[in-house]
Amino acid sequence: MIRYFINRLLQAIPVLFGVIIITFILMYVIPGDPVLSMVGERYSEETIQRLREEMHLNDPVPIQFIRYVGNILQGDFGKSFITGEPVIVAIMEKFPNTMMLAIVAMFFAVLIGVTLGMISSISPGSILDRGIMILALAGISAPVFWVGLILVLVVGVMLQWLPPTGFGGVEYIILPALTLGLRSAAYLARLTRSTMLEVLSQDYIRTARSKGLPEWKVFLKHAFPNTLIPVITVIGTDFGSYLSGAVLTESIFGWPGIGRLALEAILKRDFPVIQGTVLFMAVMFVIMNVIVDLLYGVIDPRIRMERSDKQ
Amino acid sequence: MLNALRVLILTLLFAGCTKDIDYQTLTITYSADIRGFDPAFATDLRTGKVVSLLYDNLVRFDLDMNLVPGAAKRWSVSADGRKYTFIIRNNIRFHNGDLLTVDDIIVSFERILNPQTISPQTWLLDRISGAKDYLQGDTDHVKGLTAINDSTVVIKLDVPFSPFIQYLAMPATAIINKNEMKHLSKIPAGSGPWKLDEWERDGEILFTRNDDYWEGSPKIEHLRIRILSEIMTQSAEFEAGTLDIYEVPHGELEYWRNKNYNKKEVNELNIWYVGMNCSRPPFNNVYLRKAMNYAIDREKIIHILLNGSATLATGSLPPQLLAEQPKVYYDYNPRRAIELLKKAGHENGLKTELVVAGGSEMFHVLEALQSDWAAVGINVEIKRSDWNVFKTAVREGKPDLYYLDWYADYPDGENFLYPLFHSKESMTKRNRFSDPDVDAIIEKIQQLPNNTKRQSLIVEANNMIADKAPWVFLWHTKTTYLTQNWIGGFSPSPIFNAQRYIYVTKEIS
Repeated sequence: MIRYFINRLLQAIPVLFGVIIITFILMYVIPGDPVLSMVGERYSEETIQRLREEMHLNDPVPIQFIRYVGNILQGDFGKSFITGEPVIVAIMEKFPNTMMLAIVAMFFAVLIGVTLGMISSISPGSILDRGIMILALAGISAPVFWVGLILVLVVGVMLQWLPPTGFGGVEYIILPALTLGLRSAAYLARLTRSTMLEVLSQDYIRTARSKGLPEWKVFLKHAFPNTLIPVITVIGTDFGSYLSGAVLTESIFGWPGIGRLALEAILKRDFPVIQGTVLFMAVMFVIMNVIVDLLYGVIDPRIRMERSDKQ
Repeated sequence: MLNALRVLILTLLFAGCTKDIDYQTLTITYSADIRGFDPAFATDLRTGKVVSLLYDNLVRFDLDMNLVPGAAKRWSVSADGRKYTFIIRNNIRFHNGDLLTVDDIIVSFERILNPQTISPQTWLLDRISGAKDYLQGDTDHVKGLTAINDSTVVIKLDVPFSPFIQYLAMPATAIINKNEMKHLSKIPAGSGPWKLDEWERDGEILFTRNDDYWEGSPKIEHLRIRILSEIMTQSAEFEAGTLDIYEVPHGELEYWRNKNYNKKEVNELNIWYVGMNCSRPPFNNVYLRKAMNYAIDREKIIHILLNGSATLATGSLPPQLLAEQPKVYYDYNPRRAIELLKKAGHENGLKTELVVAGGSEMFHVLEALQSDWAAVGINVEIKRSDWNVFKTAVREGKPDLYYLDWYADYPDGENFLYPLFHSKESMTKRNRFSDPDVDAIIEKIQQLPNNTKRQSLIVEANNMIADKAPWVFLWHTKTTYLTQNWIGGFSPSPIFNAQRYIYVTKEIS
């Protein structure tokens, strides 16, 4: 198990190196000049030259790349061109906010998605089931920014139940978390339903029923644990992306997270921050994937077996 | 059912009632975060505004654009226009309790010019005698910057330059506590009407009033600036009552027209224009440039698309900065435009490209211009790019046409004429307009003290530039602010850093 874990981490190194190279190249391919984001509308040519020197933008690109990689290996991600703040500080300042939003969003997604999926699977084909599946389809199809704005307008402005946007206490996280989690919830509902339906037709369920177990016990004790696999799968695919920031949700709700940090940096050509956030996102993805793989093993003994066979 | 759901949600999540209004806090919004609190890097509007809340300058602008005393209780300019003498107030304290002294002023100004600071704002102070040497690192003191005694600072310039006094009201020339200059990007060290409480990046900036402010402390105890990047979000917050003051985007004016809020309008010191690259064909031809101006029906656009919240531009300067009001130079005259096109050798029409920065709120306006131009045979393709790409392209002189605006930093015609039309500026970063007569008159305006002669030269320069048509002159816009009914004493200003929210009140209405 530990060896498997270490192997997975080692496999991540070329991935991360690839991310570094690609972001670095993209930065120099896209048009735009970071220095122009730093000066106002009035500036002297000498100022431009001084800033370029200071940021080493006049050096040949390969030298800049070597310097950048060298610095990363020493744990130095550089400083923002715009604020002068170390990139790592900016990311660490935002990450707890992003993490919090991601966790609550995933909590909502699992709670709503699994519950609806289960309800739906009780009587497939019923009006309730169809209603839920239509809702789920709508949830998957609805664009995030639209859902966000509707929630702001309806819950925040018209009903005034919750503050429309902002950052602070518990009341502020509900709407952005719902917005962010909605698509996962819809996806989970469908996945849970189909998993349940498949499981419910299995022999051991029939056995359980024929033992005379009450239906709720069959459902919760024998069928339900199987839904953990889809849940973990969705967490694996979506949670990593939540952790790397939800640009739209964060922008609509004024949530100070990684997504907005990255977006602002891109608009201002703040190279060190772009590189830092992209690399950070990649690391988050890799870590999440490894964790999910491990969780599969914990939950499903068959997967664990296969792996130990291979090794 | 709805109520039950509400109770359920609220009790489950311990959420408080959102309708409570905090009468001790004034809440406003910015669409993006600031760069920090260091005046040396205050290059954007928002950072500049925040610096003006936290710091004092020698002089500043009041809400009506008058230059008024700040840390200097009075000042004088020598007859040759080269020596400025400032008498400093001796009762101003920085937020940490230190007294503001002449040394702080000198250290603050030298810090901007210090090559180690790498401030992009050196242009504000580099006309002081010896500043260039200091900027090169050749001297350890700026020769023209001296303290005569405990309350007098003298600044000498190499050549007379009348806008200089207005430069001293800009954010970058704010006075910083010389003992606390270490972490200015995060920890301000000023003496202004507001003290910083907390800065949550991309979230909000919180201030508490400076109770000892020498000019009288703000009426409201706290100021909260929320960073909300979406227009929709801002308007939702305002409608929910959680924002006190809201700047209405032009596109939303109609929506807010009949709502029950207090409305304040301000005529901005700005101009919207289409820059034409004057250094190469086809727009190096003045007839074509004039045709571009005659071909468009600006009045209709203002009336219909801008909801009347703009005034027609006579030239490049807004009317507030002109001593006499010139006639509109280019009326809507498509027939004249066609004649001029023929004269320019484009009787068969021409094709060209106009670039615009992506987030431009008034994109539909461009489509109206496009169709007016097409009607006389000028086919303009509109290309959008993001702001940075746009700025880079304009600086490099790439686009034939570009749509842009200019907002004044200080209320002086010079602030339009020099940065936009002097060949030294235009050739290196704008539309490559170069005209020796225009250069000469602008240089004269920069040297003359503010008198009637200077005023009439400004009018003359405005007309001269209008006639040479380096731009398609469009309009000067108004900004509409809405305030909640519990807000009093708010009046907007055309000067970006004049608003310090000192007189604003928040009371149960």
